Amino acid sequence: MRRKGNGYYILRALPGIFMLLILFLIPLSLNFSYAFKDNGRALIEIFTDSYTLHLLRFTLTEAILSALISVLAALPFAAFFSAYRFPLRRTVLTLSGLSFTIPTILVVLGFVIWYGNNGLLNAFLMKILGRDYSVIYVLYSFKAIILAHVYLNFPIAFLLITNAWTGMSDSQEKASYTLGKGKLKTFLVITLPRLRGAIIAAFILIFLYCFSSFAIILVLGGNPAFSTFETEIYRRVHVNVDREGAAALSLFSFFITGILLIITSRTRSVKKAERRERRLKKAEGKSLIAAVFIILMILLFILPPMLSIVYRAFFTKAGDFTLRAWEDIARKSTGFSSSAILAIINSFLIALTSSLFAVLLGSRIALATAKTGSRILPVLSSLPMAAGSVTLGLGFSLLAVTVEHDSLFFSYMLVIASHLIIVLPFAVRTIIPGAEAIPSSLAKASYTLGISRGKTVRKVENPLLSSYKRKAFAFAFALSLGEVNATLTLSDGHVTTLPILIYRMIGSYNYQGAAALGTLLLLEALIVFIIGEGGKKHAVS
Amino acid sequence: MPYLEVRKLEKKYKDFTLSASFGVDEGELLCIIGPSGSGKSTLLSLIAGLEKPDSGTITLAGKDITGEKIQERNIGMVFQDFTLFPSMNVEKNIQYGMKGKKKKEEKKKLSDMLLSLVGLSGYEKRSVSSLSGGEAQRVQLARAIAAEPGMLLLDEPLSALDAPLRKSLRNAIRNIHDSLGLTMLYVTHDREEAFSISDSVLIMHEGKTVAMGSAEELYRQPKDLFTAFFTGEGTKIPRSLVYENEEGTLFFRPEDAVISEESVSPYDYSMHIILRDAEIISCEFNGGCYMLGINYKGYPILAQSATKPRKKSVSVMILKQSLLEF
Repeated sequence: MRRKGNGYYILRALPGIFMLLILFLIPLSLNFSYAFKDNGRALIEIFTDSYTLHLLRFTLTEAILSALISVLAALPFAAFFSAYRFPLRRTVLTLSGLSFTIPTILVVLGFVIWYGNNGLLNAFLMKILGRDYSVIYVLYSFKAIILAHVYLNFPIAFLLITNAWTGMSDSQEKASYTLGKGKLKTFLVITLPRLRGAIIAAFILIFLYCFSSFAIILVLGGNPAFSTFETEIYRRVHVNVDREGAAALSLFSFFITGILLIITSRTRSVKKAERRERRLKKAEGKSLIAAVFIILMILLFILPPMLSIVYRAFFTKAGDFTLRAWEDIARKSTGFSSSAILAIINSFLIALTSSLFAVLLGSRIALATAKTGSRILPVLSSLPMAAGSVTLGLGFSLLAVTVEHDSLFFSYMLVIASHLIIVLPFAVRTIIPGAEAIPSSLAKASYTLGISRGKTVRKVENPLLSSYKRKAFAFAFALSLGEVNATLTLSDGHVTTLPILIYRMIGSYNYQGAAALGTLLLLEALIVFIIGEGGKKHAVS
Repeated sequence: MPYLEVRKLEKKYKDFTLSASFGVDEGELLCIIGPSGSGKSTLLSLIAGLEKPDSGTITLAGKDITGEKIQERNIGMVFQDFTLFPSMNVEKNIQYGMKGKKKKEEKKKLSDMLLSLVGLSGYEKRSVSSLSGGEAQRVQLARAIAAEPGMLLLDEPLSALDAPLRKSLRNAIRNIHDSLGLTMLYVTHDREEAFSISDSVLIMHEGKTVAMGSAEELYRQPKDLFTAFFTGEGTKIPRSLVYENEEGTLFFRPEDAVISEESVSPYDYSMHIILRDAEIISCEFNGGCYMLGINYKGYPILAQSATKPRKKSVSVMILKQSLLEF
């Protein structure tokens, strides 16, 4: 419903909207102009080439499969966590949220070190089984892509479904039991339909994420046959130097994701406030043993790849303790044109600048969205998500080519701009629920006390958004910190960030160095996660 | 000229039109009552400036405020919902709207005084999320008064509270009104609340102001059947039931109808209308007396009785002077 008299909020959001449009339209229009060069030759080729169909088929297959497995695997765990309370339950759930802030490049690195043919898991299994050859071969295959996607997204599905499930009153299930229905029948007929919204929401989120997956496909797939739109665009820019083809492909990809976003936005679940949450049973006896087993299963799946990064940063492949990688970092001799220290500083400053701007502008857009009930603003702020980070990165790289500069400052500005447009939609989405939770009567009460609109926003509404803003900042910071797709596509050698340096080190098999930098990145992600989770929240009743 | 004058105020919505005209004297407490959807809260929103009218004028203390911003109207408001600011404690909420440049000590003194006025001394540093419903409404009241409004609007401030709390808080509101002499407009859907707290009552129906007067006037001398029924229990019967071939409707209150279990002659009771051979169909004890549901020739009648009737078939005697004709 459109609410009148909230023009002030739109006015406040204008700088954000303007920035959103500029940073989105510039790269997109450049993509358009390249795609339509020579009477749209590249675009015609894309539409007539059977390889495009192959890309579409592969992208859809890996995205659907990853989302399906993640959700199906999460269901039994969510069922247990929604039925029982036990020690570490809350901790495991909180840690699952870490998946939102873990940079993809760390998953790639963790997988290489842990699941690699010469990885820690194989070394461990060879020792136990007394073999002198690798026991498991996962990497550089379709399996590796799916496994990495599930690794990154299973905790998200688990968290979303568990939260929805525990938030549902169990009175309907109890009513079903009193009518003589068994547990399975009750689950299928009563619980599952009520969970449908959360399950679909989790599936869509994971599907969209995997649809635009980049680093995982590029490294863990290890085979041009395993190409998504995003990796193919990157290859065309940096391997084939076919900018027109890349631009045409990026438009096609934007078209597909745009359609998917429109379809999925219509299936958004309607949240209903339940009067009572379900009461969890205390896990005792068999259920307690099951709880221990389940926690172990989750931790054994989640922790080893991350811990192996930290391990590998301090130990050689043979298992000897070493600080060589750390000394290399300190000596600024990583073997690359950009030193590790500079990459760390770059990453930090770029993430800080882009996330600060994203929160500053995003909170105004979010408040305007909530206050006006606008349908256009959420769509507008979702557009960069539909375009995908590689497409945006490509657009900015085309801008760099068009402007023909050799200014370092301009290179930095391009990276910051591309990060800002990538994280801004996430910041807006994170803050909108907080803005929507502010009752409109609060502002009215303030006005009747003679307080101006500006002061009302500053003193009454903004403090209520602070926890959401902090979460948005943490989320945006983490996204920017781990950003590989756009930065790598845009990369002109001037600006190297931490994930890019890690990516290059993986490419040159310098796992020790990559692990040391990965440990730093992991540490930063953890700090950001703690910042996002912490702090008191104001209750709005 | 009244202190607040609402003249030919009109606001059109898709399926509802509000039109109101009335005046309130300075220091008066006017209650606005009416069924749900009658436009009570909308009227308050228009006066406060939360909504803009399509036509008409609102004058406060001789000044036309129809086009003025909410902030410049100097009209305070207490809302039905919880509108305390969660980011501020009780004291900060009260001090938030204080006018002029006051020193910290001055603000503190004033907020302490107001907290004591609403019976919440010692609550200064409490978080507003820890307050009960009644306490929250008291703080809302103190906050609204702290802004030194020219008049105060209260939009169903007690509707979310339980009955005993409502009773004690409405007395507190009346006492605050009397001690400050503040002009108040009080919206409620509770007739008893309106009658007990108000100097006068304005009744609204389907977006229109239909009657205004003291509670007793509206109860005793309602101008129409809607007001008659809205201000209390009663019975309407066709006039032809009593006076042959005469058109119209008669209305009376249950306390004006007396029953007799013995046969009654109209000649012995010339001041009454006698309805013979009526049948009692329900009998409810409501504390002080019995409320009887009676059927007379197919018409339902309400009557009061101090004792519980033993017979089913009775005569109903209605004092002629208490009958209202519509």
